Amino acid sequence: MTERMALVALLIGALILVAASSDAETYRWVDEGGNVTYSNRPPQAREIRTPATDAMPTPDVKAPEVRPPEVKTFDVKAPSETKAPETKVSELRGREIPTQPPIPRTGPTKIDELLELAGVRAQLVGLLSRVAVDLRPPPGQMNPADQATIDRILAQSLRRETVYGAIRDAFRPQVDRPSLETTAAWLRTPIARKIVALETAASDPGTDQKVADYAASLKASPPPARRLELLQRLDWVTGANETSVDLVAAIARGLSSAVSAAGPPESRLRPGQIGDRAAQVRARANETLREVRTMSMLYTYQALQDEELAEYVRFSGTDAGRWYNTAMRKALVGALGRAVEQTATELVRAVPLERWARAAMPAPHPVK
Amino acid sequence: MTIGAVRAIALASALVLCVGSVSAAQERKAVAGSDLDRAQAAFQAGRYTEALALARRGADTAPTSVRALTVRAGMAEFLGEFEEARTIYDRASALAPDDAELIYRTASFAVRVGEYDRALAQLDRLLALHPAHVRWLFQWAPTYLQPGLLRDHPSLEQIVQIKLDILTEKGDLAQARQLARSYAIVKSGENYCSEAQAKSREGAEREETFNAFRLATLGQPDAADCVWWYGQWLSDEGYVRLGRLMVIEGTRTTPSTGNKASGARYLRVRLGGNREVPKRAEQLFLIARQRYLRDGDLDGAVRLFDETIRLSPTFARPYNYRATIAAHLGDREAALAWLQRGLQADPDSWRTHRNLGKLLSDLERYPEAEMHLRKTVQLFGDDAGGRLALARVLYAQGKYDDFAREARAAVALLANWKAPVPEVRDFLAKFDRWGPGAALPPAPDPPVIVGWNYD
Repeated sequence: MTERMALVALLIGALILVAASSDAETYRWVDEGGNVTYSNRPPQAREIRTPATDAMPTPDVKAPEVRPPEVKTFDVKAPSETKAPETKVSELRGREIPTQPPIPRTGPTKIDELLELAGVRAQLVGLLSRVAVDLRPPPGQMNPADQATIDRILAQSLRRETVYGAIRDAFRPQVDRPSLETTAAWLRTPIARKIVALETAASDPGTDQKVADYAASLKASPPPARRLELLQRLDWVTGANETSVDLVAAIARGLSSAVSAAGPPESRLRPGQIGDRAAQVRARANETLREVRTMSMLYTYQALQDEELAEYVRFSGTDAGRWYNTAMRKALVGALGRAVEQTATELVRAVPLERWARAAMPAPHPVK
Repeated sequence: MTIGAVRAIALASALVLCVGSVSAAQERKAVAGSDLDRAQAAFQAGRYTEALALARRGADTAPTSVRALTVRAGMAEFLGEFEEARTIYDRASALAPDDAELIYRTASFAVRVGEYDRALAQLDRLLALHPAHVRWLFQWAPTYLQPGLLRDHPSLEQIVQIKLDILTEKGDLAQARQLARSYAIVKSGENYCSEAQAKSREGAEREETFNAFRLATLGQPDAADCVWWYGQWLSDEGYVRLGRLMVIEGTRTTPSTGNKASGARYLRVRLGGNREVPKRAEQLFLIARQRYLRDGDLDGAVRLFDETIRLSPTFARPYNYRATIAAHLGDREAALAWLQRGLQADPDSWRTHRNLGKLLSDLERYPEAEMHLRKTVQLFGDDAGGRLALARVLYAQGKYDDFAREARAAVALLANWKAPVPEVRDFLAKFDRWGPGAALPPAPDPPVIVGWNYD
């Protein structure tokens, strides 16, 4: 379970890293009614284009071009100093980058707007899908009726909008307005939007095999030291690894609590045992995730130049960046931990533990 | 036979295996397959509350069965229901006044609740059951004959061991040592302290190590380190009364001025200073802790902790457990209130400051957490875990220089104890290289120094 959760947890790390949905330049335009609109596409006829005043200046990188609706490729030229294995570009070309609707800005940034810019909702799809896979017994292990019950509960309890709402509610009390606005301004920059697009694409469970293939390819062509240094530093300033292991621990705690409470009194975990188990899982996850995480980051950000990564690190190290990362970590870990516990509680209530015990335990996913 | 802790374990085992030597075959037959058997089965399975309920029913349906009464009394004692235990023991004793096993149990129970005179009277009755020549030899034979006598008559060995416990618990260590020597429990010229230290180093069984230090305490009055170690071990186990006596003795006998100061500080910050804890309160606390930690019996534990507080309102440990239970139930505000009450009861309680600091840290009330964690490390400067917890709250407040200083101090302390805390070193290395990151520093709490790890 730990290994499986590790993969889920990686996505949390990705979620916490700032994001946006498009890899295109950010445009700001004003319509005839004077409404200011931000968009990832240039203004169309009769729209007045102005440069985005709060956009961060981009380094000498050509923003990947997106031509909706047939968005299929990145057109990124890997800088020579971060030359990555050949497989990289072709992998990227296979990715579909989702686009977001324009985000109007008519006053203070709303929390929903910030989370939308950060790609939280989009990335939850992959994350919840993995959690559901972890909780669902493999096909054929349960009788059809139980399996149907389990599927129904998973579909209901792990609904994206529900979990998203919980994250937003947990995020709200932590809001620091100046930091929020600074973060939102960063998220509107082309670099941030590009980063979010990459992270959203990598959040798809279908990328697991690609990451594994990519990791294998790195054996022949190791990443440059500077790239590794930047990624380690990014991990440090964002606290992404800590978030991942916190999530693993929260999931372990939620599952343990639910299962323990459903068992007979004499087999219930003693006070402190749930916490101890979560701490043990956390410690193991810390080791497991370290390597997996580096590989995942190398894969996810391969389309970024070092300068872009450095800019990402720079923002994340600011007060606003630290605020965002801390607040998002708490919100995500708390909301997802609760969601998992509630889901597991419902599952063992609907399908008694004995029937789960009879079914073979699902084999853990290999760590990529 | 060693101390109360071991005796409690032995009692539990005895309850499981068979209770009451007087229970005749007919009596066994009469209650076979009854509530009593089910009670013992439940006890064996660790379902203690259920076991006591069944034992009560069994004793009610067989009110003249000594076995049924003894089982019930033993289980009641085991679960801290002392009044019930006393009543039922008395009832059983009235039915079988000369039952040696029962007399031994009532003596042991009297020691548990601190009624030493009553216990001694019971031991006299137990001795009186032996043949006259055995009694004469036990009282008057020279020391070199005693080992053989005690071997042939285990009940005499039990009498000696309980008397040793009584004398030690009453603080009369000199007489306890004399008694131990006179029955050859310890011999002159033996280096018990070295043996005990060797066992500790080699990682011998816990009880074996403990017994070795107990012998060192009885056999080597000048072995201050061993006596002190024994006292700190007892303090960790919750035997605060005996722990206090041993620490006082170790502090008195140590020639080192620095050690004397450390001993005085330990008494103040770890054992409540001059706040004596009655024996009954100490035992209720120990059982309450077991009912909470071992059995998950929150209601039973809360009742006993509250009774402990009533009997000994300045004893800090039960307040800490009430806070733990409140936090366990998700009521952190109540947990805070219990810890604050604990500090009112004993303002120098290192553990209470530490728990309060950590809870406030969890609640992100960092300035308050800092205050209590600073007090924690002020009370015990070698508290590496407390120092790491302090470092964490300093970091959370952006006090990065202070964080680095405290974290490095903790790492250095832990290195002395071969606890490398690689996660903290790794964090510090990154901090030095890249400055502050978003995640808070890890604050592991490795148990390193005996006497400071458990309550």
